Amino acid sequence: MPNNFRSVNACAGFRQILTLASRLSPLIFFLFLTLAPAFGQTPFYQGKTITIIVGTKAGDVYDLYPRLMAEYLPKYIPGSPNVIIQNMPGAASVIAANHVYNVTKPDGLTIGAIYPALYFDQLSKKPEIRFDWSKFNYIGSPIVSNHLMYMRTDTPFKTIEDVRTAKTPPKCGSNGTSSTGYYMPKLLEETIGTKFDIVVGYQSGGDVDLAVERGEVQCRAFTITAYFAREPFISWRKRGFVRVLFQTGNKKDERLNDVPTIYELMDKYKTNESGRRLSTVILAAGDFGRPLVFAPAVPADRVKMFRDAFDKIMKDPAYLAEAEKRKLDIDPIRGSEMQTLAKEVVSVTPDVVERMKKLMEPGN
Amino acid sequence: MLEAFSSGFWQVIAWPAFGYLLIGIGIGFWVGLLPGIGGLATLALMLPFSYTIKTPIEAFCFLLGMLAVTGTTGDLTSILFGIPGESSSAALILDGYPMSKKGEAGRALGAAIMSSLLGAVIGALSLAISIPIMRPLVLLFGSPELFILTIMGITFIGTLAGASLIKGLLAGGVGLMLAAIGVDPQTGSLRYTFGMLYLWDGLDVTPVVVGLFAIPEIVDLAVRGTSISEAPKEKLKGVMEGVKDTFRHFWLVVRCSLIGVYFGVLPVLGANVAQWIAYAHAAAGLKDRKRAGKGAVEGVLGPGAANNSTRGGDLIPTIAFGIPGSASMALLLGALLIVGLQPGPEMLTSRLDVTFAMVWILIISNIIVAGFCFLILNHLAALTFIRGSLLIPFLVVLVFIGSFTANNSVYDLIVTLVFGALGYFMVLNGWPRPPLILGLILGKIGENYLWISTAAYGARWLLFPSVITLIILTVIVVAYPTIKERRGKAKYDRPEDAI
Repeated sequence: MPNNFRSVNACAGFRQILTLASRLSPLIFFLFLTLAPAFGQTPFYQGKTITIIVGTKAGDVYDLYPRLMAEYLPKYIPGSPNVIIQNMPGAASVIAANHVYNVTKPDGLTIGAIYPALYFDQLSKKPEIRFDWSKFNYIGSPIVSNHLMYMRTDTPFKTIEDVRTAKTPPKCGSNGTSSTGYYMPKLLEETIGTKFDIVVGYQSGGDVDLAVERGEVQCRAFTITAYFAREPFISWRKRGFVRVLFQTGNKKDERLNDVPTIYELMDKYKTNESGRRLSTVILAAGDFGRPLVFAPAVPADRVKMFRDAFDKIMKDPAYLAEAEKRKLDIDPIRGSEMQTLAKEVVSVTPDVVERMKKLMEPGN
Repeated sequence: MLEAFSSGFWQVIAWPAFGYLLIGIGIGFWVGLLPGIGGLATLALMLPFSYTIKTPIEAFCFLLGMLAVTGTTGDLTSILFGIPGESSSAALILDGYPMSKKGEAGRALGAAIMSSLLGAVIGALSLAISIPIMRPLVLLFGSPELFILTIMGITFIGTLAGASLIKGLLAGGVGLMLAAIGVDPQTGSLRYTFGMLYLWDGLDVTPVVVGLFAIPEIVDLAVRGTSISEAPKEKLKGVMEGVKDTFRHFWLVVRCSLIGVYFGVLPVLGANVAQWIAYAHAAAGLKDRKRAGKGAVEGVLGPGAANNSTRGGDLIPTIAFGIPGSASMALLLGALLIVGLQPGPEMLTSRLDVTFAMVWILIISNIIVAGFCFLILNHLAALTFIRGSLLIPFLVVLVFIGSFTANNSVYDLIVTLVFGALGYFMVLNGWPRPPLILGLILGKIGENYLWISTAAYGARWLLFPSVITLIILTVIVVAYPTIKERRGKAKYDRPEDAI
């Protein structure tokens, strides 16, 4: 008896499936039409593993963005490959950049997540640089960074004009000559003639903020997003401890409407052409944001596949919600735009390169 | 305030927070035991899991619980095998491993765990007590004061030198020179990098410490052809003795804990430095200074307490300003933001319960891990009686995995081998190794603060009252052991008296 029951049930189940299939047949036909080209051959990435080589240690902000990206890439790459992260820290991600450019096979299975300002080193012809910034294949960056400079309110420097005319320049803190805390004030010196005393050597941005609180230094240049998202800046703004002197974006940040942009300042102080080109080269680092790159010889169709996937991920509500939860700002730039920008920055004239070298390496 | 204090406690022991705490402790326990794989790297890897946790206290139970116990279990590896379980546990090797060799592993482990527990509690209580004065406490020391403190740290090389002061100073000098490797932070120029990108960031302390201390011990074990312990098995029941030692030297443990707390509060310094200072303090206090480095239990108690109490100190700048006191705190800060809590002044007012919960997490997790350790301690100590030839392959694997995790680079292994060879040479010829490490760690920090002080204040900083006070203090610290030694007429003239 039980056997009969089972077969009756099985029959009924089969009939149900048939009915369902007949009802769905137009949809199945449509799916077949649209997906046929994809099924024509097995997608290249099916069953493969993509490695994202991150140029910092795990946990760094430069590491958090690609880790989130790794969770969403399989959804948008045909064949749903595995995506894993490999940390290759060191030398401000130059090790990772060299590795992706020279060592990995250009088969589209290795992505580099590197620092945005590495082309500075290329322009100043450091022998350790074994890549051409303009030849990387750019996939995109989930964020572009704009910068600002804050100044303690109890100093006499209320505007950039005050800094320009001051007898004793303000002291800005920075954690290393390759950080924005160093090259932003330097850029202002070069382009509009302000003078800053830059105190270099703090271990981290947080140490600079503590030094500002102690009064050891008075100012620091860094990203606008951090200024509005984190402590101690939230408390500082509340008690009017600091004010913002300038910002770097092409257009003003809506929260900083009364703060001049660096471009407005350059207009005001009539910066010459060479100075403007210098500022373009240096400020471009912010536009590269947190770049994801392929090696130069990766086939164009795979590069395109990833650029498309990147663009779709940047609009995926689940991705955006997760980024919001992890406090990662999203303000993407597309790979193709970065590619154009990369060509621009490495083709600057020698006089600009000279000025940049002077600006970046006070010791040399 | 009392209300927040008790509310913090109840929130930590409530379900599921307590469950998260236990998971965190479990992970931290193993991570601490394994050399090289540090609390920091694990924290980074575990961070994504905390994204799914809903409340700040639950997330902190998981992450801080994990971090809090790594210091304790890291000490165990240092004592048992002479391999630093964490880079902040290296100082435990100096006297802990000789104790294992003498067959006193149980006693050393007992002392390490009990002092760790006391250190953690003192660290946590300091955190609780300092809540009203947190902000001035952190702002007290500027770069000039920190520079003098670094100098004071470097003078401890004298105490760590052991038998021959000259050899100690030379080893410290080598350490300072090694600290110069890498991108110069002031001008961006490259120093001693020989065209190698790996050297741009300078030498990582982990592979250097692992190589310098672990490799010579492994070679020595192979050469001796015995088990780690040279003594018969009878003394195994020394765990309680170690616990008693902790209370015999109670004030030493308290003083070393306070050293740990303050180094935790100061930016950049921290457990890596505090352990050596605490060790030097403990060694300097020995009546018979010949015992230093030969299995004196004080040399276990000091750093054991200090590397745990730093955790409490670390949290102070993180809470007071929202500015992390160390790299691991930077990661915790990220976790806090994700669970929707803005670290900073808010945590001293409206979310005081979270701050107290952290105090409780530090205390409770250390009590649990100490309790668990006591259960298995005798089994752990028995490892030192296993034949060396069986143990060596296992130790070698641990050493290289440990050093490789520093940067995931094959150069880490080379650094370990090079410093292993150097370490073996140093041991053979009676050169002390701790000064080299101290020089390496403090050299870079000292250089930075000197430059910052000069750039910010010119030469004026030399005349700051606080700086002058610290200089006088340093002179006293340097002179005191010498004076004491002269009086005691202690003499060391054989090389084997070296650490």
